Amino acid sequence: MTDDKDMFICRCEEVTLREIEQAIDEGFVTVKDVKRVTRAGMGLCQGRTCSKTIARIIAQRTGRPLEDVLPKSYRFPVRPEKMLAVENEEFNDAKNS
Amino acid sequence: MTNSADVLVIGGGIIGLSCGYYLSKRGKRAFVLDKGGFADGASGACDDMILFQSKKPGINLELTFESLELYKSLLTEMEDDLGFANLGGMVLIENQQELEIMEEFVAQQRSYGLDVEVIDKREMLKKQPFLSDHIIASTYSKMDSQVDPFSVMRGFERKGALYGMKVFRRNGVVGIERLGTGDFQVATEDGNLYQAPIIVNAGGTWAGQIGTMVGANIPITPKRGQIIVTERVPPIGETNLWSAKYLVTKLRSDVVVDLNEDERTMGLSLAFSRSSGDTYLVGSTREFVGFDKNTTIGGIRAIINQTLKYLPKLRDINFIRAMAGLRPSTPDGKMLLGEHAGIEGFYTAAGHEGDGIALAPITGKLLASIVCQDQVDHRLDELSPNRFATD
Repeated sequence: MTDDKDMFICRCEEVTLREIEQAIDEGFVTVKDVKRVTRAGMGLCQGRTCSKTIARIIAQRTGRPLEDVLPKSYRFPVRPEKMLAVENEEFNDAKNS
Repeated sequence: MTNSADVLVIGGGIIGLSCGYYLSKRGKRAFVLDKGGFADGASGACDDMILFQSKKPGINLELTFESLELYKSLLTEMEDDLGFANLGGMVLIENQQELEIMEEFVAQQRSYGLDVEVIDKREMLKKQPFLSDHIIASTYSKMDSQVDPFSVMRGFERKGALYGMKVFRRNGVVGIERLGTGDFQVATEDGNLYQAPIIVNAGGTWAGQIGTMVGANIPITPKRGQIIVTERVPPIGETNLWSAKYLVTKLRSDVVVDLNEDERTMGLSLAFSRSSGDTYLVGSTREFVGFDKNTTIGGIRAIINQTLKYLPKLRDINFIRAMAGLRPSTPDGKMLLGEHAGIEGFYTAAGHEGDGIALAPITGKLLASIVCQDQVDHRLDELSPNRFATD
């Protein structure tokens, strides 16, 4: 029987709420920390789906304001990009959209 | 508030956590102080290799053998697979000049006990069918292994906690004083004070700044390595890959190696390894740009161009991320490990450049052994920080 704790928060890497809460309880209390210890947000979408949810879980569990927990930046590339894109001159555009 | 410990480890990367783990296992109460979050520095922005083939016969190669054995025992100690894998590695050879130099190098490594050989093109393509036709041969060693740095670091921290190790993050060290009692007092950004008779400086790229606080000269320079991460893909060949070019330039400064612009200006060379997440880590650059750890479009472009030169079929694969880490490089390519003469109780374990993951367990174990004053291991004399002491 599964419960809410078995819900996938990060669908790309299949990381559950339970694993994320456990990491937070071990003292990993930023979105980056949680990512590096659980792989949540390390998959194909690079956290674009789950990082806000994870921030909310951290905020709730630690009692910190959500604004303090939300990630402030994303690394290039902001979405998956084919290797062959390097042949395209627009590749020089850091926005890469 | 003042916190007392037996040892303060400054730096919570893979080296600091390994030192903390092995010290606490030896019964020392160890606090690890880190200025950033979990794996914020070079340990979280690197590849995952326990690489033998890049090493000249000598202390680094010898310690890599010992570190691999320790990793195997850590799999049991930590009750985790640690992302450990043993895929073996190949160094790609592109011309006759490289072949001759690599044949000589491989012979030296073999005489030192490394299981490595040069294989011909046919054998090479059996192991790596997607390689470009211009590659004439390669080396092969089944010894080259890998481990997931994040799992190892979490393991050190989890198991270290059982022995009393504590990690304090987002808590950079701002000052070190010697008290009348002989103990060190360390002040951190948040206003806390920590005291202990012993400090282990595991500051990695930033170890020199910690050294300055106690008057120790630590010539560690940041070398930026950029890496891209692919999407999850099925295995591309059986092994991990490197290009011979960089090795050859390092081994033989007397020969002129034909380098392209990116190889010359960014220290670009191929490192291609399959991660425990079924992605590939592809690098990398070696750039001296101070403490700037941003990725650059130029760097990413160079890495991709190079990758497609060796593995043209990867054109249609997505890359999902780019990262950069600052490798702590030393003038002689060897780490600093040991106590500083004239600064009793101050030890450094830093300067691993690209071998931090490979050498983390052995570094922590040897450091703990030095701090606990076990019988002196004279092999380590050449790693003493005192080789850089200025008088």
